[in-house]
Amino acid sequence: MSQFLQVLLSGLATGSIYALVAIGFTLVWQAAQTVNFAQGEFVMVPAFFVLVGTNILGFPLALSLGLALLLAIALLGAVFKKLVVDPILPSGGISLIIATMALGILLRESVKEFYGAEAQPFPAMFPTNPINVFGAVVSMQDMLNLLISLAVVVVLTLFLNRTRTGRSMQAAAQNPAVAEILGVNVKRMVMYAFLINAALAALASFLITPVYLAKFSNGETLGLVAFIAAIVGGFNQIRGALVGGLLIGVLDNLVATYVTAEYRAALPLILLIFIILVRPQGIMGTSEGRAV
Amino acid sequence: MLELQDIHGGYGKITILNGVSFKIPKGTITTVIGPNGAGKSTVFKAIFGLLNIDKGRILLDGKDVTRHTPRQMIDHGVTYVPQGRNVVPQLSVYHNLELGGVTARDQAKVRERIEKVMDKFPILREFRNRKAIELSGGQQKQLEVARSLLLDPKLILIDEPSIGLSPKLVQEVFATLQRLRDQGVTILMVEQNAKSALAISDYGLVLELGQTRMHDKAEKLLADPRVGQLFLGGHIEEAPSA
Repeated sequence: MSQFLQVLLSGLATGSIYALVAIGFTLVWQAAQTVNFAQGEFVMVPAFFVLVGTNILGFPLALSLGLALLLAIALLGAVFKKLVVDPILPSGGISLIIATMALGILLRESVKEFYGAEAQPFPAMFPTNPINVFGAVVSMQDMLNLLISLAVVVVLTLFLNRTRTGRSMQAAAQNPAVAEILGVNVKRMVMYAFLINAALAALASFLITPVYLAKFSNGETLGLVAFIAAIVGGFNQIRGALVGGLLIGVLDNLVATYVTAEYRAALPLILLIFIILVRPQGIMGTSEGRAV
Repeated sequence: MLELQDIHGGYGKITILNGVSFKIPKGTITTVIGPNGAGKSTVFKAIFGLLNIDKGRILLDGKDVTRHTPRQMIDHGVTYVPQGRNVVPQLSVYHNLELGGVTARDQAKVRERIEKVMDKFPILREFRNRKAIELSGGQQKQLEVARSLLLDPKLILIDEPSIGLSPKLVQEVFATLQRLRDQGVTILMVEQNAKSALAISDYGLVLELGQTRMHDKAEKLLADPRVGQLFLGGHIEEAPSA
């Protein structure tokens, strides 16, 4: 029983980080009706911003994390929207999807050229010593990752549902024409969605890189798994992205522990095919359209 | 109250309005009628800052508001209820109403207004926590009209309020507009259901091919055979010169 709980908690910890990235997919989908296939690289890059701060510039970790977060919001949020999304979106969503694929390759190869292809150790933000949770031995880092991720999702959900700006973002996503005639600054709301996406990606980066190490190719798997999580949960719902992320994290751990670890990379894809066959709108998704 | 002077404009290079001019007084209902493609809805978009205006002026209480943005028009006390369904589907009725006052600085006042507005539309109070998409078409239209009242507007532009509504609900919406007019609100309405709309209006305006063809008291337009001719698919002949 304690082993099961251990596997479950560890899966939830990883899944909650997938959920952060998946929520970013959902937000960008709502805001621009496109899929950002550079999302995985958006998670990979902020870790290298931190490494530049700590290893090259000699900044303390906390300062490096803060600056990396701000830089990620500026470059992967505002600059991405202004230089990539805004000029290409009028040509159609497909054009933008292709552009984001190209951006992903650019970011990946740039990091490889700049920092090398080897995995780099990344400083842990939290102690990694094991703790006992109802008999299960899990690392404190995993538990804090889980708690922080869930807290961020709760805060984001409260922001979107309980604040005027959050509801304006929802209006801009669900019915931009109506939002405009009500006086909502639709362009600003769309920008907020991109900024939040970048912040979520950076946070996911800071939480997961101590586990996986910093490597230029980290985004490939992470981006794919988070994309699948968003579809499995329901692409038009934040709570769907959360459920999808947690589900994949838990199933991945359970299958690897109790069935086989050999095909664990295939698990999200099998889940994706199953969900598309039985519930194409996703577990929590609705068929009526967009909603953040 | 509102005056359009020789408005020309359209979408990109396509010109829809070719010289629309009219004046409407405060505290009145004016119905805009005309055949399909006459530019009725386009006039509203021009007034509300959603259309390129190539030429002409729009005056609101004597102030030039030509090419003002939707946000500026809201600040001037103008609200716009477009045709079709215009709710935010996944938000509750209450939050849809709240969006009607999203530009207001004093949100406490907006919440007070929501309560007052819900007094006028009891069905919205009953369904205040329901998602807007779960309302019937008529209830959604009531929600849109109610939302347009949140900032205590002085001018409401309402486009085809009767579309998709049962005759009973149309009468309810029209009765609401009359009540608002009696409270001093000015209403400019586009309506295909010309006879019913003119019957509750003070003035009528006939548009054809993007131009003002007739502008008179509503009862005169109702009695004018040329209006009937227009709605039977013809066009208005120029009146013979005396």
